[in-house]
Amino acid sequence: MLFDSPPYFLFLIPVVLVYWRLRRRAQNIFLLVGSYFFYAWWDARFLALMVASTTVDFLIAQRVAPAEVNPNRKHWLVFSLVLNFGILASFKYFNFFADSLADALAMLGMHGIPLPLIRIILPPGISFYTFQEVAYIVDVYKERVKPARSFVDYALFISLFPHLIAGPIQRPRHLLPQVQTDRTFDADRVFDGVLLICSGLLRKCVVADNCAILANAAFSGQLGAPNAFTVLIGTYAFAWQVYGDFSGYSDIARGSAALLGFHFMINFRQPYLSQSFQEFWRRWHVSLSTWLRDYVYIPLGGSARGAWTTTRNLLTTMILAGLWHGANWTYVVFGAIHGAVLVIERFLFGAGVKATDEPSASGAGGFCSIWAERMATFNLLCLTLVFFRSPSISSALQFLSGLRNVAWRKEYLPAFFMLSLFALPLFVVDLLLEASGQEYPFAQSPYALRTGLAAASLVILTFFSGVDPNAFIYFRF
Amino acid sequence: MLAGFCVLFITSIEIAFSHPVKHYSVTYQRVSQQYAEALRARPSKAGEPVSVLMVGNSLLLDGVDVPRLQALTSGRMRIYPIFLEFTTYYDWLYALRRLFRQGARPQFVVVGLGPDSVIEDTVRTEYSPILLFDADDVLQVSSDLRLDRTATMNLLLAHWSTFWDMRTVVRAQILRRIVPNAEDLFEVVRRKRPVTPAPDAEPMATSRLRILRGLVERYGARLILLIPPPTSDSGVRQTTRAASKVGVDTLVPIDPETLSPSLYQPDAIHLNSQGATRFTSALGENLPKRIITRGGVATLPPD
Repeated sequence: MLFDSPPYFLFLIPVVLVYWRLRRRAQNIFLLVGSYFFYAWWDARFLALMVASTTVDFLIAQRVAPAEVNPNRKHWLVFSLVLNFGILASFKYFNFFADSLADALAMLGMHGIPLPLIRIILPPGISFYTFQEVAYIVDVYKERVKPARSFVDYALFISLFPHLIAGPIQRPRHLLPQVQTDRTFDADRVFDGVLLICSGLLRKCVVADNCAILANAAFSGQLGAPNAFTVLIGTYAFAWQVYGDFSGYSDIARGSAALLGFHFMINFRQPYLSQSFQEFWRRWHVSLSTWLRDYVYIPLGGSARGAWTTTRNLLTTMILAGLWHGANWTYVVFGAIHGAVLVIERFLFGAGVKATDEPSASGAGGFCSIWAERMATFNLLCLTLVFFRSPSISSALQFLSGLRNVAWRKEYLPAFFMLSLFALPLFVVDLLLEASGQEYPFAQSPYALRTGLAAASLVILTFFSGVDPNAFIYFRF
Repeated sequence: MLAGFCVLFITSIEIAFSHPVKHYSVTYQRVSQQYAEALRARPSKAGEPVSVLMVGNSLLLDGVDVPRLQALTSGRMRIYPIFLEFTTYYDWLYALRRLFRQGARPQFVVVGLGPDSVIEDTVRTEYSPILLFDADDVLQVSSDLRLDRTATMNLLLAHWSTFWDMRTVVRAQILRRIVPNAEDLFEVVRRKRPVTPAPDAEPMATSRLRILRGLVERYGARLILLIPPPTSDSGVRQTTRAASKVGVDTLVPIDPETLSPSLYQPDAIHLNSQGATRFTSALGENLPKRIITRGGVATLPPD
């Protein structure tokens, strides 16, 4: 069930009301059943796969844990990784690699070679729960976390419905202890949860869904053949669509978790205010970027083994990041461009790791410099998003080639106006959050003001929600 | 407190939406009046005009001048039109089921659909659920279109709630007032160019027209498929072939190739008033002939 649809709230409200009447053991069982129901609503065919995958990893974790010296720990770790990534690869990438192999063979003059192609449907959320399972197994192996003794606790950690389909990817050290300990009802936290949900709905239904209309029109050619204006409209609209969509989803997930007494990690920290791509990946989809850093980049050696190894590791990590988003060469190109820019930034400007992401310059000249860097980063990011959005590399390049042409049409004025109408408020919200450091706008304000703002958000949602229900973009992954 | 506000808010919104929509929405009023009128369609007695139910989307809404058509046919036909923009095959399949269930008994049913509309797998999510479907129809539509549970619930809500059904229409109206020249943009975004159906579209069209014919004949009527412009030559041929395989009469009153661009609106899809005059004239000339050739009980009264 989509987070922005009535069925989700018809599900969420009774779950929350019953949940707080139960004790922890019963709460966990109840939530687990509810989460499996939530998953089955999407596609019951793959519930068995998720349960089986969860069960296998639960059992393997007992063998990976160093409670006694176990010479086969590493073998069990490898087995789990191969199994998890094998299942993910089979469902997500089998046909992609088969098609690519066929194309490569054709380029070598070998045509008509029969390759098995299976019409595989992608199980919902597999990218997310697989990464969580891998994080758990690795953390148990490295003794960062003890293996869960209760299957219900572990299964709930994996399948808790707010994060099940599209994240945020929760770390075992962060979420598992919350599952294993009592949750106490905190009215403030519940109130925050409701307001996070309102914030998420505004981001998704008002900003993302309306920007989607413009992005779809530009990319599909409805606004005319690609020219500088359609490229601007399409890339900017898609940038705000994907940000509103995913940050909105994350807010609804975090808000829903808060209603149940859980704290999910923040997934977006005003990413379009980044001054570099390094900073961007510390602010965008934080749960994925930190996962890739901790379970791919650092195990590969990180930046500790010289320039060439660092370059290799950055490119590998970012290409995998791109490929994680989907089985298409466009995602590989997206990741490769980001990897290349990160490499260039690292060698031009150093690691760029700061204690915080506070703007790094000061004074009037500093202000101009900060904003020049932000605009450059944002615009370069938008260009990479063309590959993210396009169905093929050739269509992405064809779209971008429109930058060479300038042709005005009367519908561009309302398009720019509509883009500003829906994107600017989110931009202003980000400026406020950047200045205040809050989780959502006015989080520290009095209850009355926050209630009024929530009521106003419902009114805005009523009248400005987008036309067609666009599924959250990241549900595809 | 917030929960209480939400309940109050939802109830107020529903009440607040119902009244203005039902009284000020041109489309809502038009379709609901046409629907109510169509329910009165009955087989004619000797000397009375033949009852003809005519349904379709904006191509007919803009292309058929119904009063002129009535005049051209000299009162030999009593036309009951129901035209709703952006509708396709499934909208009218289930609308006709409901009409028949509720007692409409026209002698002829003229369904105006272009080749791509016959094979499209959608229904209109505004107006159709609340004006053309019952709840059972919504579930059938969901099954036919293989909608997921969320989409099914959205359609059911649209059937039960005026607010849920009409919210996108209201939103578009608000945006028209806020965004300068919004209509220029909306026209472009809404536009769907007629496409040449793929070769495998013919079996799909055959199957669907068979179902439609079966439905119409079960209630004693005859089906005529009216193909309005603009359509590609191959699209017309494919659809006509599909229709003839299942014994459905096809009417293409005017060759789209003979219609110059000056007869279309700026979107190059809908006929303008001059184009509508030409199309209506052609329809007025050919439709009665088609009804006569069907013979049987339905014979047109003399001029």
